[in-house]
Amino acid sequence: MPKITIDGREIEAADGRTILQALDDAGLLMNGVDIPHYCWHPKLAVDGSCRLCQVEVEGTPKLQIACDTPVRDGMVVHTQNERVTQAREGVMELLLVNHPLDCPICDQAGECKLQDYAYDYGVNASRSKEPRRALKKNVDLGPTIVFDQERCILCRRCVRFCREIPKTGELAVFNRGDHSVIETFPGIPLDNDYSMNVADICPVGALTTKDFRFKIRVWFLEDVPGICTGCANGCNIHLGVANNKVYRYVPRRNDAVNDTWICDAGRMSYREIGAPDRLRECAVRNDSGRLDPVGLDRAIEVAAGRLRRLIESKGPGVIAGFASAHATNEDLFTFRRFLAALGSETSGLAVVRGKADDLLIKEEKAPNATGARAIGFGDARAVVDRIRSGAIDAVIALGHDALQEGLLGSETPLASLDTLIVLDTHASELQRVAHVIVPVRHAAEKLGSFVNAARRVQRVVPAVESAWETYADGEVIAKLGAALGLEGFDGSYDAHQVARDLAAANPEFAGIDLDSVGDTGRELVDSVASEAKR
Amino acid sequence: MLERPYVTQYLTEHFGEADYPTLEGYERFGGYGAARKALTEMSPDDVIELVKTAGLQGRGGAGFPAGMKWSFMPKEGDRPKYLVCNADESEPGSFKDRILLERGAHQMLEGILIAAWATGASATFIYIRGEYAHPADQVERAVAEAYAKKYLGKNVMGTGFAHDVIVTRGAGAYICGEETGLLESLEGKKGQPRKKPPFPAQYGAFGMPTTVNNVETFSHVPHIIEKGANWFRSFGTEKSPGTTIFGVSGHVVRPGLYELPLGTPLSEIVFEHAGGIPGGRKVKGVIPGGMSMPILPAGQLDVPMANEFLRERKTMLGTGGIMVMDETTCMVRVASVISYFFRDESCGQCTQCREGTGWINKIVDRVERGAGEEEDLEVLADVAGKMEAKTICAFADAAAWPIQGLLRHFRDDFVEHVRQRKCPFAGSFEL
Amino acid sequence: MVISEQTRSKIATAISKYPQKRGALLPAIHLVQADHGHVSNECAVELAEIFEIRPIEVMEVVTFYNMFFDSPQARHHVYVCTNLPCSLRGARSLLNQLESHLGVTAPGETPDGRIFLGHEECLGACGYAPMMRVDGQYHEDLDVEKAKRILDSLGK
Repeated sequence: MPKITIDGREIEAADGRTILQALDDAGLLMNGVDIPHYCWHPKLAVDGSCRLCQVEVEGTPKLQIACDTPVRDGMVVHTQNERVTQAREGVMELLLVNHPLDCPICDQAGECKLQDYAYDYGVNASRSKEPRRALKKNVDLGPTIVFDQERCILCRRCVRFCREIPKTGELAVFNRGDHSVIETFPGIPLDNDYSMNVADICPVGALTTKDFRFKIRVWFLEDVPGICTGCANGCNIHLGVANNKVYRYVPRRNDAVNDTWICDAGRMSYREIGAPDRLRECAVRNDSGRLDPVGLDRAIEVAAGRLRRLIESKGPGVIAGFASAHATNEDLFTFRRFLAALGSETSGLAVVRGKADDLLIKEEKAPNATGARAIGFGDARAVVDRIRSGAIDAVIALGHDALQEGLLGSETPLASLDTLIVLDTHASELQRVAHVIVPVRHAAEKLGSFVNAARRVQRVVPAVESAWETYADGEVIAKLGAALGLEGFDGSYDAHQVARDLAAANPEFAGIDLDSVGDTGRELVDSVASEAKR
Repeated sequence: MLERPYVTQYLTEHFGEADYPTLEGYERFGGYGAARKALTEMSPDDVIELVKTAGLQGRGGAGFPAGMKWSFMPKEGDRPKYLVCNADESEPGSFKDRILLERGAHQMLEGILIAAWATGASATFIYIRGEYAHPADQVERAVAEAYAKKYLGKNVMGTGFAHDVIVTRGAGAYICGEETGLLESLEGKKGQPRKKPPFPAQYGAFGMPTTVNNVETFSHVPHIIEKGANWFRSFGTEKSPGTTIFGVSGHVVRPGLYELPLGTPLSEIVFEHAGGIPGGRKVKGVIPGGMSMPILPAGQLDVPMANEFLRERKTMLGTGGIMVMDETTCMVRVASVISYFFRDESCGQCTQCREGTGWINKIVDRVERGAGEEEDLEVLADVAGKMEAKTICAFADAAAWPIQGLLRHFRDDFVEHVRQRKCPFAGSFEL
Repeated sequence: MVISEQTRSKIATAISKYPQKRGALLPAIHLVQADHGHVSNECAVELAEIFEIRPIEVMEVVTFYNMFFDSPQARHHVYVCTNLPCSLRGARSLLNQLESHLGVTAPGETPDGRIFLGHEECLGACGYAPMMRVDGQYHEDLDVEKAKRILDSLGK
């Protein structure tokens, strides 16, 4: 393990790493040791063309680019002396010669590396009297991205990204010299499942997303750490929040989950939070068959009443539950305890599946199928079979994935159920036959955890509050349990406590709670090992 | 174009013979004897030692010792090794490789064969600039002749040594004369130079160990093998032995090629061999080594044309392209021509080169047409300084040096443009 | 199919000479241009198939080099070298006069598409300046009259 000295500070590096990589590994890059850079990206091949990361390496006459200089034991590096500073200023000045003064109308302002480094390392006023080059400013590169040719500093990150990550390679640099420009091939637009990542990695406002264009200034946004709920990968994100509204998702780096990337579908899934089809009020079906809006207490009362009647006449065995992979571990553990205390033996998990790839996109299109299974929910088919056989009279459904999976529909006598209680975030076909409906919180509105496909427990925290009354699924179940007088249910619900209860009850979750998972998550305890413990 | 230089030596002395470009003609003058000697009587290491002792410097502009470069090729390993002959000659003022290709293709091929033997290379790619259509045709013809006589192919001269030669043409980009830019172009990509390390001897053409040498460098080799290191050192200076082919152009009576020993004084080449300035005008400045090399003013032309002397005058031999400018010449216009060239030919990768060449060209043009201020001259010098020693390849340095040289020796021309708000040289060449 | 069988055959021969297929890309583009004068988008797609690369990778190469074109060209190409040694010997005034002679502003082509007149950087003929490259052929030691005659001789 080579030891190097940077600005007087000794760092141990792994073999074969470059100076920038070693600093990045140690969490020091731009966070204790400042080597500004454009073309280098921790997850892309080295380019070496922006020349901004030049540093002085003792014993080597010319300045070296830190992104391409392998560390050697005993290397001594200076990043802030006059020679290096002058070289940096030189690069910054030259970049600013042709860069348009677009800040007032550019989306990147506030999170722009050109602004940041010009402020920290550049010169105040331009010495250039020459007209800047005039190029196209609003190029439609594809369905998701807008490109401003004048702002581009030709770091080529976007070109490398498309070639190396989705491996679709839609972008290239045409021409040469100061006529160089990023282009697509006519008829082959920038269009892949990860296209919007280019806007993240573009250091300037050359590549921006159509979705976010001109929406809000980034300095108004608070970045709340969270998890994407689009599939079982659980990509780490920051929710961009202002005015109690989520304006965008951007990927949050987690080398154990998603590196620095997120798929376009996941990134765009923020739109679900404020979508028009969010359920906004509890409702119960009246005798003439219509749904009446009611408060939560009344909804619980009606639900408990219907369930009690069935238990008294036929026993709890006629009640079944559909778990949802959109619910948190805390919601689901509460639900599991509820069904057990109720005496129901029929439950299962339905989750929508779709196409997957060998990058980030997973087959299961919800964040917590693995968590649901770890908590003990089996396949939903068992529930459907029993419903079809007529053995079930009441169903409590979390979410409506069972519908989309085709498990419920015209063939299953849903309408003939005595009682259908639905807890959901968004409207669905179930509204037409449900007897009690309760709107529940989206992941962005509650505290809890999910387990992704790689068995990693990751938490979400409330980033926004909906404008209407909503509740965590677990909260609703807890109140229902109390209303039914079930053992262990007093109507209260505290996600932290539930997490601790889950850890105590389930060896796979041992030691994991909503504090210890932190912002980067923790893996479930190995089930083989925990099997041995049981 | 003339058949042979105005002054010849061992490289070009037979170029006037009509059949010399053919294999038969070449052999009539002893051609391929040196290759035969090397392949049958000398070991590869012997050849390298001989070329090292002879002190042959590369003739492509950088002047790196050829023997040492060959010794960088790995001896062990089973990866194929390649040679590349850099025939991309695009340095303004330089036109010597062209005649070597047109009239002396076999001499170059013989040098290649000897170098291949010395380095264990299995193939040579001759990369010829795309515009040299006729020279490339000559080289292809010579290669076919060599294959026919089994001087190339699976069993060279019956020795069991195998070597192939592939002629490939560029498509118009000066940067493909840079070693690694050439390699990228050879591989079918844009000619954008590579970061170094790794150097071509480790990772070169198609990822294999490669040595790149200039046309003229290869052309000296058969003579060194045949007549020895001491003979080679009888020409030129101690540090820069041998001859080179100087190309003289611009304001001279007899522009053309002159094969002379290294170390010949620049003034001798310009005023004796090339006949001096026409019309009895006085010389103003001379660029000694191709346009990337800083200019020398009138008072400094007595310098011997060899790197060890030129470096003291803050310039270099480069490719020996001597461009003579008389007293009518406006040096700001010269700067305009030069800066346009570098702006046009930058590959565009490195920030300082891409933006710097553009900015310098714009400032120079603005000063030239009379819209400049004196502070612009400070900016010019400063931007040129910012481009030195900080990029992937030396193009940025090559772009900076001429501007620095012109400002160093002819600042007054620039100042007069500023003061008079126009070009004060009425008789200068037109822009 | 834009690339003819004959040209495909020549491309295949070129490919066989290189350790990696892509080494033959520049030769292939030269061959295609000999037929069509430029590399169209369709052509780029076909070349991409032959070389197992993407069309955009063909186009980025085409746009990098001076001798490759991505749009249709005039029938005759005339390039006057305007680099330093040639300029010192009057190349630019020569170019100006040819512009007048043809009624073109360089770089540009005559309205009937017969001649494109442009300038190029150093072509390795510095001792024989001024000079021009016409349809790939060098014409050196020019004076204005000689140059005009050469242009006039270019066929329709």
